[in-house]
Amino acid sequence: MQKLKNKNVMELEEMKTLWSEMSAELEKQKKLTDLIIIKMTQANYRSKINGIFIPEVIGSFICLAMGLYILVNFYKLNSLWMAVCGAAGVLILFILPVLSLRAIHTLRSVNILRTNYKQSLKLYAKGKLQFVFVQKLSFYLGAFMMLVLLPPMCVIMGVKDPFSHSSLWLSYVIMFPLFYFMARWVFRKYMSVTGNAENILKELDK
Amino acid sequence: MQSKTEFVKIIKDNEGLIYKVTRLYTNSKEDAEDLYQEIVYQLWKSFGSFRNESKISTWLYRIALNTSITHLNKQKRKGNHQPVTDELFNKAETTDVLTEERMQILYAHLKKLNTIEKGVIFLYLEGKSYEEIAGITGFTVSNVGTRLVRIRQKLIAEIKK
Repeated sequence: MQKLKNKNVMELEEMKTLWSEMSAELEKQKKLTDLIIIKMTQANYRSKINGIFIPEVIGSFICLAMGLYILVNFYKLNSLWMAVCGAAGVLILFILPVLSLRAIHTLRSVNILRTNYKQSLKLYAKGKLQFVFVQKLSFYLGAFMMLVLLPPMCVIMGVKDPFSHSSLWLSYVIMFPLFYFMARWVFRKYMSVTGNAENILKELDK
Repeated sequence: MQSKTEFVKIIKDNEGLIYKVTRLYTNSKEDAEDLYQEIVYQLWKSFGSFRNESKISTWLYRIALNTSITHLNKQKRKGNHQPVTDELFNKAETTDVLTEERMQILYAHLKKLNTIEKGVIFLYLEGKSYEEIAGITGFTVSNVGTRLVRIRQKLIAEIKK
């Protein structure tokens, strides 16, 4: 390899020879035992893959429970403004989990056995784009939901005129800078992930 | 039971192959171990449905490469790692020092390629023909040729840096 570097040339055939040398070396070093292989195939390992799925399901249940709670107490929202805010909040609480779970389902539905490398790459890149888009959307909708849900939630909790309470305005004052920094972070993350996925899709068509 | 014995034998016979894929697609020992286990798990999961459908090597390469694409980052999956492959990943330390050094340089260059290129070059280095690479990846034979030319140019540019 050093010789190749000096010549500034790397022929694929020479790389292939080096690769074969390594493969032959690896062949000599059989280390796997029956027990290790069986351990690796144990179903509990699968739980790792659910690292994203489980928190999303828990989050969905929380959203659903919150939505139902507001619906049950909807009659307490006695002004049109409060009712509109409450309804918007409930709508977001029901839509967000559906979008999120659907995106994860797409990401998980890449059939490793049935698809070839090109198809898997395409499906995975598309799934990733969808997933990150939903994440971004969820973030903005979530922030909007906090904004519109705070006053109706106060009313449901028994506060007659939430706008006259300083704690409501204080919550907003804390929330907005927090939202700004989070939004910047989410946007950067979004750009990096979508950039990679888009590059894969472009490259596949070359 | 027969299928389990059969499966274990296939994995043992091809442990080097899985090792090479994991080393190519990961950047840390932990992540490599994780991917190794995931590939073996995916092979086991699809073992029943694969039989008599395609060549064993095609099946192995396809699952290994596809699993590498969908492999999630280590950071997202903490806490469940089973260190069953620790010994396996000490292979590099026990091999010939010079070969290992040269391999490290080669891997460093290969890791700079994108995901698509990694898969194509890996199969090429494994000695697969253009037709076989096309069969495993889903690209056309001529596209495989074009991609390999591009990969070669990219590698040369990389070494010149």
